[in-house]
Amino acid sequence: MSELITLWLMPCLYAFLACAGFCLVFNIHGPGIAICGIGGALGWFVYLLSALFTPNQILCFLLSATVITLYSEIMARIRHCPVTSYLIIALLPLVPGGGIYNAMRFCAEGDMPMFLSTLVHTFGIAGALALGTVLGSSVMRILFPLIHRLHK
Amino acid sequence: MDYNTLINLGTELGCQLMASGAEISRVEDSILRLMHAYGAADAQVFAIPNCLFVCLTPDEGHPITRVCRIPAHGIDLDRLELCNALCRQLCQEIPDPAEALQQVAYIADHRPSYSGRAVLMGYFLVGAFFTPFFGGGLLDSLCGGLCGISIALSNRLLRRVTGSSPFFHTLLSATVSSLLAQLFVRVGIAYHADAITIGALMLLVPGVALTTAMREVMASDIVSGVTRMAESLLTATAIALGTGAALALGGLL
Repeated sequence: MSELITLWLMPCLYAFLACAGFCLVFNIHGPGIAICGIGGALGWFVYLLSALFTPNQILCFLLSATVITLYSEIMARIRHCPVTSYLIIALLPLVPGGGIYNAMRFCAEGDMPMFLSTLVHTFGIAGALALGTVLGSSVMRILFPLIHRLHK
Repeated sequence: MDYNTLINLGTELGCQLMASGAEISRVEDSILRLMHAYGAADAQVFAIPNCLFVCLTPDEGHPITRVCRIPAHGIDLDRLELCNALCRQLCQEIPDPAEALQQVAYIADHRPSYSGRAVLMGYFLVGAFFTPFFGGGLLDSLCGGLCGISIALSNRLLRRVTGSSPFFHTLLSATVSSLLAQLFVRVGIAYHADAITIGALMLLVPGVALTTAMREVMASDIVSGVTRMAESLLTATAIALGTGAALALGGLL
């Protein structure tokens, strides 16, 4: 039970609150704050969940970015707002800030092999995020006309 | 139809959108829709991340063009949403262009924005909650928040002293916050310098530029996409250089 809280609940809560903080920095008001926060928490939850099934970290980031994009696109359609408002904040917990820092730490310590492998891994994560957003929006572009037609 | 007011309306709205961080396709699309709604069917719009061109051809007389350079800007998602909503509204109601122009100016002056303190609070929250996210404890989290505030303050100070050079700002802010994190650990208040540094660095990380770049490449605005991609790479390099310098300095002390 305590494992459930420390490994699952708390990180998602931290992601939620950090995203809420970003809403203040990027000037988002009202319900947008909750939407962005939930997006960030959801993204991290999907990441943790997919990490159970595959040891491949980059694949987890790809899945998580796709889910966040789908979520933001749906929320944007519901609230008639630009997708970017929700997407860029909800994606932020996934951005590999740790990778940049660790790579630099290895570089400062003179550990070249670790520096290079961390750097490549960081680029891999960034690429996975990029691909995930592309994948999510493409799915939405295909799905939405279909849903519209069904509604009519 | 008064084409001079109309072109000013389109350009002002486009500038507002761009300066609040909209993607290029949204800017071009919004202006085109607005121009079409007002009956200027042959309007031409072209935008790249720091420049906007709008051209109209009246039935009689010469074509008119307005070029608008967009200065370095932050991100203001609330203004983006307001401008987007206003554009939809204008396209439906089609009020007099001069009146519409006033509405655009009204958004620029009267949009709700957080006070300086609330924004600092935002920086504190981001630093404070990303630190435990990357494995810090309670005291680490507090120090992470303070490092976040240091980033905000050094950014503001640098903007006043050195003018706008985002690369330089990012580099120095990253150095300041990583040095501060190491100082906290040396003094004995906090334990995980790594977690604090990464937590505070999340404020500088080019996640926004990267996401926007990908969306633009997807909307086949290759020029803007590549520009923003380069921007995010530059920012990442600045962060890496800044923390690298701080780590090297910390090792010397």
